[in-house]
Amino acid sequence: MSSPFTAILDAFSRQRGVQASLAVSARDGIAIESNLQIGQDGTRVAALAASLYAKARKAATAAGLGSTGFLQLEAEAGRLCMLGGDDVILVVVGDPQANVGLIRMELIRAAEALA
Amino acid sequence: MPDVVRLWSDELARDPSSLVFLPLAETLRVRGQLEMARKVALRGIERHPTNADAHDQLARIHADAGAFQQALDEWTTVLRLVPSHVGAIKGMAFVRFQQGDRDEAERLLIAAQDLEVGDAGITAAITAVRRPGASTPASTAQVGQDPEPGTVFSDLLRDDQMAILLDTEGLVLAGTNTGNDGRDVAAAMGAALSGVSDEAHRTTKHLQIGGWRAIVFETESAIVSIAPAPADGRAAGGVLVLSAPPATALGMLRRLLDRCVERAGQWLAGTMS
Repeated sequence: MSSPFTAILDAFSRQRGVQASLAVSARDGIAIESNLQIGQDGTRVAALAASLYAKARKAATAAGLGSTGFLQLEAEAGRLCMLGGDDVILVVVGDPQANVGLIRMELIRAAEALA
Repeated sequence: MPDVVRLWSDELARDPSSLVFLPLAETLRVRGQLEMARKVALRGIERHPTNADAHDQLARIHADAGAFQQALDEWTTVLRLVPSHVGAIKGMAFVRFQQGDRDEAERLLIAAQDLEVGDAGITAAITAVRRPGASTPASTAQVGQDPEPGTVFSDLLRDDQMAILLDTEGLVLAGTNTGNDGRDVAAAMGAALSGVSDEAHRTTKHLQIGGWRAIVFETESAIVSIAPAPADGRAAGGVLVLSAPPATALGMLRRLLDRCVERAGQWLAGTMS
């Protein structure tokens, strides 16, 4: 059975360097749907990503910067990209070879499609 | 000629034995007029050969001019006259650091610390000397100097860019951040980002993707980038937050972020250049 997120997450998973993609509830950080590799814990990734995104939103609001868009957490051996609305955050986990520009564009397009 | 220099010069002309040569030489040194400063200091030493501060002044001028051996000779004279002259010991540490002799620089700074217990500037300088790859301070005046926190990043940033250094609790240690309406939003932003470093660390640890390097997020009116604060000192566990206009290229933003982190480290260590 497919949800509105199935095709979006499948598209991310086909991109070079993408290791996982998730749709996460922005309110409680629970994974709604995910494409994960064997051994990955989607529940924890969803909660951590939602928490980070919520912090960025709070900071943007506190500084009067308006709504928050694309967010990237860059690490030594990979990255976490996300973009969300009031209800859903789309999260993509990539390795260093992942094309962040492409992921960003796809996230924006998917968020617009879901709105 | 600036008024203060003229006033002191006039006074020195009226009374060649006046100690006003000390602030006069120092003012000229700070302004970069090293040759004139050196002449003033030398004339003062001719009149006051046992004045330790006069030799200390001349040593600083030599150090700023890159004449390190002459600087060390003068500071050695100072210590012969006043063995507990902390300024001379710190100055010698500066020269040794510039020469790449970190061990001797550290030994001297520890000696200075023993004489001035609780001096935060000396403690910070010791931390800087011990840090691998630490850059050298640009002048003797910057050893242990602690500039105004709000201005730490000022010369690195354009008017539409802002940076703040937060500790692990989200408290603002340095920098400023002003909202579009002109109000100071640094504290509010800091509170919102309290603990973000821990969360980023937990996330990257869980994903097994190594230590986190940066968080970048886009908003309607700015792009915000965050990096871990320097690992030692009172910002450990905190973050550096840089805000720039949305059109800022990510590569440029990243370079600016790196420069701000480096500057934060220098400021925390008291070796800001």
